[in-house]
Amino acid sequence: MTVIETEPPEVAATGDLSGEAYRAAMRRWLRANLPASFCSDSATFSPPTLQQSIAWEAAMYRAGLAGIIWPQAYGGHGRTLREHLIANQEIGAFAMPESVNSIGKELAGPIILAVGTEEQKRRFLPAILEMRDVWCQGFSEPEAGSDLAGLRTRATRDGDTFRINGQKIWTSGAYRAQRCLVLARTGPLEDRHRGLAMFAVRLDAKGVRVRPIKSIDGRESFCEVFFDDVEVLQSDALGAPDEGWAAAIRVLEIERATNRMYRAWRFENELRHLISACKSDPVLAQLVADHHYAVRLGEVVVDIEVLKAHVETAVDALVNGDRIGARGSLAKLHWSEAHQRFAALALELLAQASLPQLPAVQVARRRFEAIYLQARAETIYAGTTEIQLGIIADRILQLSKGK
Amino acid sequence: MTLTGEGLQPSEFALTAARAVADCAALSLREQARHLANDGLLGVIAGQDVGGLDLPLAFAVPVVAAAGSGLLGFPLMEALLLGRALQESLPREAEAVVSGEMLATIAWQGSVDAGREGESVVLNGWVARAACAGEADCLLVRLGTGTAALVPMDSEGIVVEDATGLDLTVPEHTVRLQGVIIPAARVLSENIWSLLCSEANVLRAAAILGSAEACLTLAQEHASTRRQFGRALSYNQAIRHALARQKLGLEGIRHAITRSVGDEAGALQRDAAFLAAGVYGSAISEGALQIHGGMGFTWDVPVHRHLRRVRALQAQGDANAALAALGRRYVGAIGPVADAAISG
Repeated sequence: MTVIETEPPEVAATGDLSGEAYRAAMRRWLRANLPASFCSDSATFSPPTLQQSIAWEAAMYRAGLAGIIWPQAYGGHGRTLREHLIANQEIGAFAMPESVNSIGKELAGPIILAVGTEEQKRRFLPAILEMRDVWCQGFSEPEAGSDLAGLRTRATRDGDTFRINGQKIWTSGAYRAQRCLVLARTGPLEDRHRGLAMFAVRLDAKGVRVRPIKSIDGRESFCEVFFDDVEVLQSDALGAPDEGWAAAIRVLEIERATNRMYRAWRFENELRHLISACKSDPVLAQLVADHHYAVRLGEVVVDIEVLKAHVETAVDALVNGDRIGARGSLAKLHWSEAHQRFAALALELLAQASLPQLPAVQVARRRFEAIYLQARAETIYAGTTEIQLGIIADRILQLSKGK
Repeated sequence: MTLTGEGLQPSEFALTAARAVADCAALSLREQARHLANDGLLGVIAGQDVGGLDLPLAFAVPVVAAAGSGLLGFPLMEALLLGRALQESLPREAEAVVSGEMLATIAWQGSVDAGREGESVVLNGWVARAACAGEADCLLVRLGTGTAALVPMDSEGIVVEDATGLDLTVPEHTVRLQGVIIPAARVLSENIWSLLCSEANVLRAAAILGSAEACLTLAQEHASTRRQFGRALSYNQAIRHALARQKLGLEGIRHAITRSVGDEAGALQRDAAFLAAGVYGSAISEGALQIHGGMGFTWDVPVHRHLRRVRALQAQGDANAALAALGRRYVGAIGPVADAAISG
């Protein structure tokens, strides 16, 4: 097992650093500490175990690469959103595994910061950053996928507690999580988005059952979660009662606009890997030099530049105190479709490699076959493409639906 | 008006530009030049020594976008770029362009052979995609050496021919140069030509942004007011999603332009802005035409004028070759796996 216990000197020193010096410190730390075997562009790639991932992410946090903008009072590093962007650009430049706690760090954390009580902030937030609590997101249900306002999981008040009954689905990582961010109904179903509340539910609570679902990439990452009269303390209810929908909308806006801010720079890492692998193979090297593939790879470069532009615009808006609102749907729509186009191009190119396959091509094929399959989910999760188009039509263009 | 740009925002130029563009509708080309110059719009990025405002390229973006939106029939992008490109080596000409006294344009396609004869240069060859060259006083042409030369249009040996082109309001011309003699001092360096071309890509993207924005506004208005099957067109999901995609493209252009004029932007970002604008801009204008149904195919609905201009701008910047060149540069800069670590 890879041991990640290092806390290099620059960790302590970054407090005084900003701008490019901060970027350089982050890059130095990642180069020095990220195990090559964690990187999917490495010949020695071996996906980390859950425990390795938890140890690695805890080390990243200690190095200043998680909780970047969260207040120091709750374990964060108290830095600016621009520094968050810088750190994410550096994270994106490495082919490292996705976080096993992105729901905690990028959804639950921000929503707790927004609507949680002081006690909840002190209890939940450091545990997320230190990777003691891994979170999952319990929003979708069998009868409420895209139509989230139709969810049926019910939270009933029982003295000082709530009783939760219902079922969630597509809950990524529930099998490994300690907490689930559950959206449940406190009012009648007819109230639609009114009468919804949000809870931080312990997944080891009595009455919780998790059943993994095998996905097209062979993994069993996302799950069904069943709640059978699960007792939830009042202290684990997030925000005022009936504010659940407003909080959910805020979560989804954040999710679409800022989560995995490193994405454009990770795409760039993937593109560089693809080209590098192609140039290691005599047939592919010729192909990528030809006009046809130069044009198509150029299109990927343009897609990445446009994505970076979307991200930077969102950061500028937030820095200026604006709410992202529905604009997060624009970036989500762009990256999810652009990534699918790129993944398909990568498969097409690598399929034309010479025989016997060189090790560099094998590494790339393994990586891009996985990316291709996983990218099919990207236009589905966090609001399908059709939902994003609807949001843009309704809330940005404000098109009339009336007769 | 502050000349340094401090405290001034590019967006502040949008309103002035929109008003000036509207005023130009009934004016001749030379009258337009003077009108735009009087509003300070031809010298936005040119130095103060030649009468310009010496502002960064970002300030020219809303001006050119307004010209695109208003379908200005004047080679504004060319005037803006020439005011700055000529300011060091040909300051009088730069001043004349900025003041609207001289009508100058640029041939974006082709290059001519240049032979040195003492203090003169003799030019021979064909160039094309020169907006309004038929009425221009001067034409900037690319030389085979990678430099460029400013050629007076009354020089002996110049033949201007009308060229077919989609844009109705800014006609393009083909120009033949047969033994045209100009002073060697009218030759601009390779660096200046190269920067001019790169910045032209940002301004083309801006022009396309203006046209695309106008098209989306027209399409949205039509979809909201035209009724079929007892309902507004915008009631239908197919129409709503088509318009949403147009909005996605429009914001993609806008953000890519913003990125291309940022402090850390280089040729890659400028090229990407143009290329993204070409793809999204043509899709938006074609989509707007489609949403108008049969009306969209009529001469009177202005969507086709924007579509024509967007396609002309794409061709002017040789979008396909630019995309291939960008791809080749990107591929060329990356080594095989054995030579390079990918991560980090």
